[in-house]
Amino acid sequence: MSNSEANIVVFACNWGGLSSVEAAAQARLSYPASVKVVRVSCLSRLHQGLMLKAFELGADGVMLLGCEPGKCQFDTDTGLITQEYDKARNLMRLLGLREERLQLAYVPRGDGSDFVGRVTSFVTEIEHMKPAVSGGA
Amino acid sequence: MFDIEREIRDTRINLCLDCGKCTVVCPVAQHDPDFNPRLIAQRRLGQNSNISQDDTIWSCLSCYMCTERCNYHVRFPEFIHALRFEALEEGAQLQCAHGGTLQAAMHMMARGDLHQDRLGWLPHDVELSEQCDTIFFVGCAPYFDVLFSDLGVNTLDGIKGALRLLNRAQIPFNILANERCCGRDLLLQGDREGFLALARANMEEFARHNVRKIITSCPEGHYTLKVDYPRILGSTGIEVVHLTEVIAPLLRSGELNLGRLEKRVTYHDPCTLGRCSRIFDEPRQILEAMEGLELVEMEQNREKSLCCGASPWVHCGVVNREIQQQRLAQAEATKADVMVTACPKCQIHLKCAQKSGDVNVSQVEIQDLAYLAGRSLD
Repeated sequence: MSNSEANIVVFACNWGGLSSVEAAAQARLSYPASVKVVRVSCLSRLHQGLMLKAFELGADGVMLLGCEPGKCQFDTDTGLITQEYDKARNLMRLLGLREERLQLAYVPRGDGSDFVGRVTSFVTEIEHMKPAVSGGA
Repeated sequence: MFDIEREIRDTRINLCLDCGKCTVVCPVAQHDPDFNPRLIAQRRLGQNSNISQDDTIWSCLSCYMCTERCNYHVRFPEFIHALRFEALEEGAQLQCAHGGTLQAAMHMMARGDLHQDRLGWLPHDVELSEQCDTIFFVGCAPYFDVLFSDLGVNTLDGIKGALRLLNRAQIPFNILANERCCGRDLLLQGDREGFLALARANMEEFARHNVRKIITSCPEGHYTLKVDYPRILGSTGIEVVHLTEVIAPLLRSGELNLGRLEKRVTYHDPCTLGRCSRIFDEPRQILEAMEGLELVEMEQNREKSLCCGASPWVHCGVVNREIQQQRLAQAEATKADVMVTACPKCQIHLKCAQKSGDVNVSQVEIQDLAYLAGRSLD
């Protein structure tokens, strides 16, 4: 796996998202070392403020990795994450950041190769957009 | 760059007589017994001051009610702003409202290589004069309407109304595609570095477009551009006027006429427009210029107007909610159909209280002054 300079933050839900990250590690699948995984209890924990904060601190791309629709660990998936995701993307557009820099991805539980495939293509996509975390992309 | 001891002296806090009148009129102190302006001053000015540990400094709304009442005109809110700066320097953590979204957006807006895409809402029928050295400063309304879409906030409607009023009055203006937040919220919460970055970015943008005059409908933008920028950056050479100061004289002279609005309305004076900028009459003159409109006053109005209950996107809690409910109850008591305000933040905070699910909270319609005036032209 080639080294990437794209600064990527992955917010992974503790259940679907993180299980696929761990499965990737157990299967010795590799992905760019510039990807930083942050565990959250559920994607509904994420506020658009946290997503923007990642960009403020220098992220080139942010991926939200969650359970497949209808398979939320907490049964009552409120759709809060899609609402926050839409708001964050609209705010990014106003700020001149390309909204593709924020991606919401649902992965099957424990599917390491799915995660690696998604995050690798996300890194490639972001690299094509560089430079520009601070706007203008 | 910041001499805090001098700033504190300039607020006249040393003249405090310990009379407690500020605490009597302070809306926060009425709901929170731990908040006491007089005691905050004593703690800071006394021996062994440890301001970063003093949580009460974050509760002040900067509504300037205390300054209005103080016999010695102590500028307590500015004293608080200086203390917040000190506290942040000492490592205190901000309790940001709305997950810190606004702070993150403001910091990103300060970047030099920013290319915002913030004019998608601009109606096609609004006429801009691109070479004009007068601009209309839109402020953060495009951001507010995204962030608070679930509250039914429509602050851009107020901006569109303002632009239609200016077009009708044949006052030429331009709009800058890359203007930044004025930075007032960062200044009030003690983030001077963030404020300076935004202020400098705005001043560079104004210089690039040879701006000589700014018209704005945002009370906070108006005060910050007019008072805080020259105070902190030195003379800007730019005249700053509030929309109501432009429109009201034209209505008085008959050069501009508004349409009909058969409603009973009450006007909520935003703290920054009223107590800070002393603009009390012009908004009322605009309302009264609409035929059929009946203007009624709330129990607290003009210099004594009650704050909307929240200030620079920090430390919002149950006390703020109680103040908002109190203000909405005052509007309800007037039996007005519409509560009119001239500030986007007042609209956001009061609508937020209405969405709290409490059945006792008044659901009076809340509208922007410029929106109503602009709509009456149709």
